[in-house]
Amino acid sequence: MLNYNSPIMNAKDYSGIKISEVEPIIKINLRGKNRDFITKIGKELSIIPPTDSNTSSGNEKLNILWLSPDEWLVYSNDKIDLKNNNSLEDRLFDQISKVKLGSVANVTDHWVMINLKGDNVFELLSSGCPFNFNDFKNSKGAVTQTLLNHVDVIIHNKNINDLNLFVRRSFSNHLWSWMNDSARFI
Amino acid sequence: MFLINCPYCGERDQSEFSAGGEAHIIRPKQPTELSDDQWAEFLFMRKNIKGVQLERWNHAHGCRKWFNMVRDTSNDKIHAVYKMGEKPPIK
Repeated sequence: MLNYNSPIMNAKDYSGIKISEVEPIIKINLRGKNRDFITKIGKELSIIPPTDSNTSSGNEKLNILWLSPDEWLVYSNDKIDLKNNNSLEDRLFDQISKVKLGSVANVTDHWVMINLKGDNVFELLSSGCPFNFNDFKNSKGAVTQTLLNHVDVIIHNKNINDLNLFVRRSFSNHLWSWMNDSARFI
Repeated sequence: MFLINCPYCGERDQSEFSAGGEAHIIRPKQPTELSDDQWAEFLFMRKNIKGVQLERWNHAHGCRKWFNMVRDTSNDKIHAVYKMGEKPPIK
């Protein structure tokens, strides 16, 4: 892996909203359809990929987010040393891609994870998002892919008023600026 | 602006979707045997009706899956959504 340079490296605190970039963490995209694929992922990660839409599953180390009926995003809870930590990707690659059960892609550099915390996080999101957060904010582990200020995002409702938001790296600075600008007025 | 019930993700705003045009257009089995007019007919000519139409849509900013929809083009009323490969629930 190339040297990882964080695009934001910042944390901000507003009234009822804390925004911070959480990097580096490992992110792996998984695609597959058949039952063997699901079983293999369950064995390797000790987590069964969720088959219900807009949900996630996880343990103390990893989370798996449902992205579509045949696509999941795995990410780690803790920051890791990316230079010396490709073992998860290698293991999944050997068990899934090599035997043609599905595809494994390391998307660590593709997505940037921003953590949003506080009582007003949904006020901030609702100011630029067409998604209805009424049910979402009360269901722990819920996942949605939507638009925030016209930028594609994945939002994981980790805990009450504690969200992880994934944005494509090239859009991350723009979205970060927008979030900071909007948070000032809430 | 209207809401679309994605068969995979549930009800979402229209801005998350892209329209893919008329549905159930069958690709000719032997394109090389067609005349230019017949090929153009398949490729470009669409009914573009005012009323109930079968359409393809893509949840581009969500699950990125294609699906079909029965929509009234005159008032945007959605009569049904159904997955690719399924038969239309309304004729």
